[in-house]
Amino acid sequence: MAARSVCRAGSAAGRALLWGPRPSAALLTLTRKRGAATYAQTLQNIPETEVTTLENGLRVASEESRQPTCTVGVWIEAGSRYENAKNNGAGFFVEHLAFKGTKKRPGSAFEKEVESLGAHLNGYTSREHTAFYIKALSKDMPKVVELLADAVQNCALEDSQIEKERGVILRELKEMDSNLMDVTFDYLHATAFQGTPLAHTVEGTTENIKRLTRADLASYVDTHFKAPRMVLAAAGGISHKELVDAAKQHFSGVPVAYKEDAVPILPRCRFTGSEIRARDDGLPLAHIALAVEGPGWADPDNVVLNVANAIIGRYDRTFGGGKNQSSRLATLAVEHNLCHSFQTFNTSYSDTGLFGFHFVSDPLSIDDMMFCAQGEWMRLCTSTTESEVTRAKNYLRNAMVAQLDGTTRVCENIASHLLNYGRRIPLEEWDARISAVDARMVRDVCSKYIYDKCPAIAAVGPIEQLLDYNRLRSAMYWIRL
Amino acid sequence: MAAAMAWLRRGARGAARRCGLAAGRSYSGGGAYPSVSLTCPLPGVPKAVFAAAEGRERFETRVTVLENGLRVASQNKFGQFCTVGILVNSGSRHEAKYLSGISHFLEKLAFSHQELPLQQLGLLSLALCPVPDEEIEMTRTAIRFELEDLNMRPDPEPLLTEMIHAAAFRDNTVGLNRFCPVENTDKIDRDVLHSYLRSYYTPDRMVLAGVGIEHEQLVECARKYLLGVEPVWGTGQSRGVDRSVAQYTGGIVKVEKDMSDVSLGPTPIPELTHIMIGLESCSFLEDDFIPFAVLNMMMGGGGSFSAGGPGKGMFTRLYLNVLNRHHWMYNATSYHHSYEDTGLLCIHASADPKQVREMVEIITREFILMAGAVGEVELERAKTQLKSMLMMNLESRPVIFEDVGRQVLATNTRKLPHELCALIGQVKPTDIKRVVTKMLHKKPAVAALGDLTDLPSYEHIQAALSSKDGRLPRLYRLFR
Repeated sequence: MAARSVCRAGSAAGRALLWGPRPSAALLTLTRKRGAATYAQTLQNIPETEVTTLENGLRVASEESRQPTCTVGVWIEAGSRYENAKNNGAGFFVEHLAFKGTKKRPGSAFEKEVESLGAHLNGYTSREHTAFYIKALSKDMPKVVELLADAVQNCALEDSQIEKERGVILRELKEMDSNLMDVTFDYLHATAFQGTPLAHTVEGTTENIKRLTRADLASYVDTHFKAPRMVLAAAGGISHKELVDAAKQHFSGVPVAYKEDAVPILPRCRFTGSEIRARDDGLPLAHIALAVEGPGWADPDNVVLNVANAIIGRYDRTFGGGKNQSSRLATLAVEHNLCHSFQTFNTSYSDTGLFGFHFVSDPLSIDDMMFCAQGEWMRLCTSTTESEVTRAKNYLRNAMVAQLDGTTRVCENIASHLLNYGRRIPLEEWDARISAVDARMVRDVCSKYIYDKCPAIAAVGPIEQLLDYNRLRSAMYWIRL
Repeated sequence: MAAAMAWLRRGARGAARRCGLAAGRSYSGGGAYPSVSLTCPLPGVPKAVFAAAEGRERFETRVTVLENGLRVASQNKFGQFCTVGILVNSGSRHEAKYLSGISHFLEKLAFSHQELPLQQLGLLSLALCPVPDEEIEMTRTAIRFELEDLNMRPDPEPLLTEMIHAAAFRDNTVGLNRFCPVENTDKIDRDVLHSYLRSYYTPDRMVLAGVGIEHEQLVECARKYLLGVEPVWGTGQSRGVDRSVAQYTGGIVKVEKDMSDVSLGPTPIPELTHIMIGLESCSFLEDDFIPFAVLNMMMGGGGSFSAGGPGKGMFTRLYLNVLNRHHWMYNATSYHHSYEDTGLLCIHASADPKQVREMVEIITREFILMAGAVGEVELERAKTQLKSMLMMNLESRPVIFEDVGRQVLATNTRKLPHELCALIGQVKPTDIKRVVTKMLHKKPAVAALGDLTDLPSYEHIQAALSSKDGRLPRLYRLFR
């Protein structure tokens, strides 16, 4: 599921800001950039996001665009961060079981109904969010809302299904082990947030998956699927009023109160500068990720950090273009054959985050690539130029708008904004925030987060050439007169 | 209740301390940069004036033909950005007289050529500026990397697709290699490219398509930049355009490959043999295209352990009859490739090498069953799913662009989505039976990859597909 990779990066909003669409030879997407005035006008040429809050605290938000299709989904503030060592993996398990039968539609009746509508149902779990969404024709919206309400509130958690899914999940865990990029990021979280709930992986551990019982899963649902923590979001050819009516009809029953008034509080997750090395000389390529602590979702520094990431850019050796890359690091990578690919990331959580880069390289280029990448970071902190900031800002603006292609992306965008920022941030505001960034600001903010800070490092594969932690730590500052 | 309300307050993030100056790290260093948290609106940004989409989305594709033969097509769409590009009627199928792999080369080159600012289309810049030698060298390297990547991947999909096309259309048009073969990367140089471009990249073989852009504006741009411009490869003698019609031959392509250790990570992936069996369907211009598409949807299939929720075809035939009954099958998926003058419907299956024979027999039986009775419920579900998938895919601008370009290139007009939906709704069980019976009369195309010791011979597979029940001819062996 492509959506799985979303959960690693934290959320679609963050992803939208740091990764633009992969360029394809046949298609190039242009914005109408004939002048600042025209661009600003196009930003306003969008429908409004309407938000209504039901009595039980559930928020309903939608953006209408008169299309024949729509995406409707429920986003819940629940994830592996809310789990503990004993029930780590319960959220992922519950997500698997959500569509395998409800009290009203037992067994495969639920799936059959979705298939007969021609709808696509999907879900994902991340460290802080859980989502279930359905893509369907707009005329089927009331039915879709009912199906979602059924899945979220009345999940049957039938024993035979639990046993079946146990096997499926264990197999999925094995398959995920071969996706080295995900493994590297999981290790990064495990070391950076060690000893805190953010260190847990989303899928849980093998022992937990083998051990979890129906009671554990039911208690997870009971504790976390509460109305004030949910958002019902929709985008496409649906009217807000009809959506709210459907929601009132089916979602009013979502519980609000907690057992014994025990509201789960999110403890602060401390960041520890540290490293984790999983050396395996049998693998062909090395995966290395390095990150410093970043800001939480709501911090305005995120905008500047995303501009910084756009300056560093991303690269894959199968991109054509040779030495004519817009990013300095990419040009170096091509000239000296430093790596197979690299990318930057800015993953945010509610009160903390990870800001860094990840690269894949041959065993004998690790040292050079790390040197260049950290050198680029130092350069960002001290001598960013206006022209590259301007280029990065344009790229970011383009990526931000281009990401909103299709009802599913818009729906996800609405929901994650509401959960992370409490409101949908309009495009002009993003544009204003991005435009306000200049080179001085990039230098200041980068210095604040990067300069002389202890990084967290995760490395997998033939990593003998990766230098000792003290050396990498000392590359986080320059000795200058 | 009070605690829940506290959560509500916290969740709404209305707390005063969050707005205004950023809480959290204090920072000394000055610099007047905005410190307004993202949870609060930025002061000074004018209140947004939102637009509302008027009426139902009017799908309207307009086409204009310029004096030099270039067609300009546009599709309006509500929204903030547009997709613009050029589609050229050229591809690997036209490489019969040239070195195989030119199109792949051009694809990489067009995008890497960055002499002009990025706003210009890559192809446009290719036309106006001569390509320096080092760029050709870089493209060669990029292609070699891509080929290496393809071979390293555990997923054999692209390789199998190449193989089945080579088997079905032996040595002609769409059967020619889509990816540049390793031997040819060094032989392709500027002269070869220019001679190819002269024949195939002419205005009458191109469509400038735009989505979300005003038609007049697009035509004006086209006139300004694409009319009367002499491309760098000259408009001299062309070697003549290959107008061959694709000829379906059927046949078999086998690649023995050791698939025992294809995993890129530490966990081993079980060794699998992959086969693909295909038959000729029809081009996307014919009426029978819609029943074939519905049939493809009805067969469906996928991986036996794939993730993803309902909607991926769990009640399609390949799931119900094949994957759910035979748990040793890893994968059974149906594909439909369709071109201007031909098409290919094929089923891909993979399993352990020792069970190749049963796997082939199961697939041939499914083919024969396609010609049998088609349930009403099954057909309705397939039609609804096809309509849904069509409309959902067309949400995305790049997909609309490709649809507009492809159709205008082939027919100079565009069949609008709701017309296609109407046609889908009219498909009946008799239509399915008719197209399948016609399909089963053709010679099969078979592609096989992996350990092939137990693979039945091509003649046996052909016999199975012509038989009544789809079973392979009985093998009499003295020693089992």
